[in-house]
Amino acid sequence: MDTLKGLLESLVRGLGNGSVYALLALGFVIIYKATRVISFAQPAFMICGAVAVSHLAGVTGFYAAVLISVAGVAALALAVERAAIRPMVGRPVFVVAIITLGVDVVLRVIVNGFIGRDVRQVGDPWGFRTVHLAGIGVQQRHLAMLAAAVVVLLAVFAFFRHTRYGLAMRAAAYDQEAALAQGVSVGMVFALSWALAGGLAAIAGTFVGTGQGVDQLTWIIALKALPAIILGGLDSLGGAVAGGLAVGVAESLVQAYQQQLAPWLGQNFAVVSPYVVMLVVLLVRPYGLFGTREVERV
Amino acid sequence: MNRRHLAATVAALVLLPISACGVFRGGGGEGEGKGGAPAAPGVTKEPCPQAVDKAKGCIYLGTISDLTSGPFAALAVPITDAQKAFWKRVNAAGGIGGKYEVDVQTYVRDNKYNPEVHNQVYQEIKGKVLGLAQTLGSPTTAAIIADLRAQRIVSAPASWTSAWEFEDVIIETGSNYCVEAMNSVDYAAEAHKARKVMAVHYAGDYGADAAAGAKAAAEAGKLEFSAVETPSGATEQGRAIDEIVKGKPDVVILTTGPADAAAVIGQSAARGFRGRFIGTGPTWNPALLKSPAAPAIKALYEQSAPGLPYGADTPGHRAMRQALGNVTPNDGYTSGWAWAYPMKAALEKMVAGGNVGRAGLLAAVKSLTTVDYEGMLPPEAGNFAADPNTAVFRQTLINKVDEKAPTGVSVARDFFTGPTARAYRLDGPCFNKL
Repeated sequence: MDTLKGLLESLVRGLGNGSVYALLALGFVIIYKATRVISFAQPAFMICGAVAVSHLAGVTGFYAAVLISVAGVAALALAVERAAIRPMVGRPVFVVAIITLGVDVVLRVIVNGFIGRDVRQVGDPWGFRTVHLAGIGVQQRHLAMLAAAVVVLLAVFAFFRHTRYGLAMRAAAYDQEAALAQGVSVGMVFALSWALAGGLAAIAGTFVGTGQGVDQLTWIIALKALPAIILGGLDSLGGAVAGGLAVGVAESLVQAYQQQLAPWLGQNFAVVSPYVVMLVVLLVRPYGLFGTREVERV
Repeated sequence: MNRRHLAATVAALVLLPISACGVFRGGGGEGEGKGGAPAAPGVTKEPCPQAVDKAKGCIYLGTISDLTSGPFAALAVPITDAQKAFWKRVNAAGGIGGKYEVDVQTYVRDNKYNPEVHNQVYQEIKGKVLGLAQTLGSPTTAAIIADLRAQRIVSAPASWTSAWEFEDVIIETGSNYCVEAMNSVDYAAEAHKARKVMAVHYAGDYGADAAAGAKAAAEAGKLEFSAVETPSGATEQGRAIDEIVKGKPDVVILTTGPADAAAVIGQSAARGFRGRFIGTGPTWNPALLKSPAAPAIKALYEQSAPGLPYGADTPGHRAMRQALGNVTPNDGYTSGWAWAYPMKAALEKMVAGGNVGRAGLLAAVKSLTTVDYEGMLPPEAGNFAADPNTAVFRQTLINKVDEKAPTGVSVARDFFTGPTARAYRLDGPCFNKL
């Protein structure tokens, strides 16, 4: 019974953390689908969101701070796209990806000034409080992460399916030139994808900061979205979510059981486990679980 | 986007933080060789740039610290500021032997807690300084130790690994992590009746040194012992927390940074763990009292420390507080200030002996049997003349969380040596024995 309880607790923790990875991964995929570029600026947007909440929560309360932060980071992403990315349209995507790396570094240096040297708390209402559901101890913040991710993901999927802009973005992702010919503003699609990704990163950052706060090294967690997107398939929104959750659950289970089951793997195999899962999946499915097969004629 | 390009970029992104954590160590530096360095580098007849008395010469000391983005920046900046204040006070009081003032402002470099960066900035300044007033971190200093030895550059470390006991050029102050953890386990066995000990520690000669000390004490006291190595990063503590909750030790000896300590303590308590935590000095930061982990920290945590906290009532502490003026109290100041006393004593002895230079300074260090810490530490903490096993200082303190104290902790048990540390024969760095 204790074994089952431990397993379920690990699963819930993994799903909680995994939903944060899913939000981050979704941002990567949205930009990739629209522009064919992996935006490495996502870690910076994530930290910007969390730090904005940490400064605002004391003034406006936590929930209002999250809304303001999401809007602010979306606007920031929009500005970055307009200033640094739009002028590069037509250039090789690798060049644009490197520019996003530069954007990431610049933004993080700036936001570090707002973090300072101590850990900043995001002022969330959950802390480390735990609830017991059917005998299983679950941290409230993990439930909140999961719930928020579900709501946000449903909203994003509804946006793509049922709104004009969503349709425009899907059309542009499918075939930019055809979409242009049909009157879709591809520039608007680029901008919207960046804004959406920025907003998602801000929510993810806030949840990363719950309980343990944010410091100058917190951005590294955003890199866990990379195995998630490759695992799920670079151009699949559903794949990003599945990849994020899979990474979270794999990590949590490895943390809990690897030492008992495979101690020869060393003490901290959990740290690399997302990448191992990614490699195993890629061996079987080179385009990820849900990615589109690329057909190249040579 | 080309998938091969993507893979390369992902690899670069993954390797960057690993490298920043010091997994890949730089070489020890090649040194300048015979005749490469001037006779007395870092010593000038000209006054210091900010001299109190322009008739005196200047001794330049370098500082390599974690000043911006590394995990110990919250401690490192106060350490560095305290040392600037310390040497300003020394200069105002007549300098070294009435002949020299000391400059620690000109050659201050940021290591970002990265051994490669540490080595790089060290190479930049080593020809211009007599010694190092501060070299922060164990893995970072390990990257330059061979060159420090070769060039005979006396350096004050900002870390407490037991490896420094075996280095002539390193003038450490206070007990090392190994002894500190031994005393913590002995204290926990006595005060909390602990029978089961778990060391949760970073890899390398910070965490592993303490874990080795805890292991030695557990073996000596016939206690059950386990060690859990954990990576840095508050979000990476899941496994350590799992091990604590499952293993249910009576006491956890914690050797991490403050943010990770809060994550471990807070989440372990949230999952029902009710044992004790004793964290080494660097696990504490008063900001933790504002974190969601605060209730758990207040209930379960004590801090082991190599010296008295900021608010202590000794002449050294009073002088420090007066020199610093109106600052937010932080024990980084206390450590930085205390670490400067052996360098001051050695410089005074060197100038008095007339052999001003690196060899003279090293000879002066090797002749110090006591150092006047103005009450911050017992004088015998400054024994650099004897062999490591004799010279090693074996007294530490235990602090308890005290919200009214300036740095959030006050002394629970004053300087003591536990039975394990008293009997322990230090014949090599502890971390090799984990």
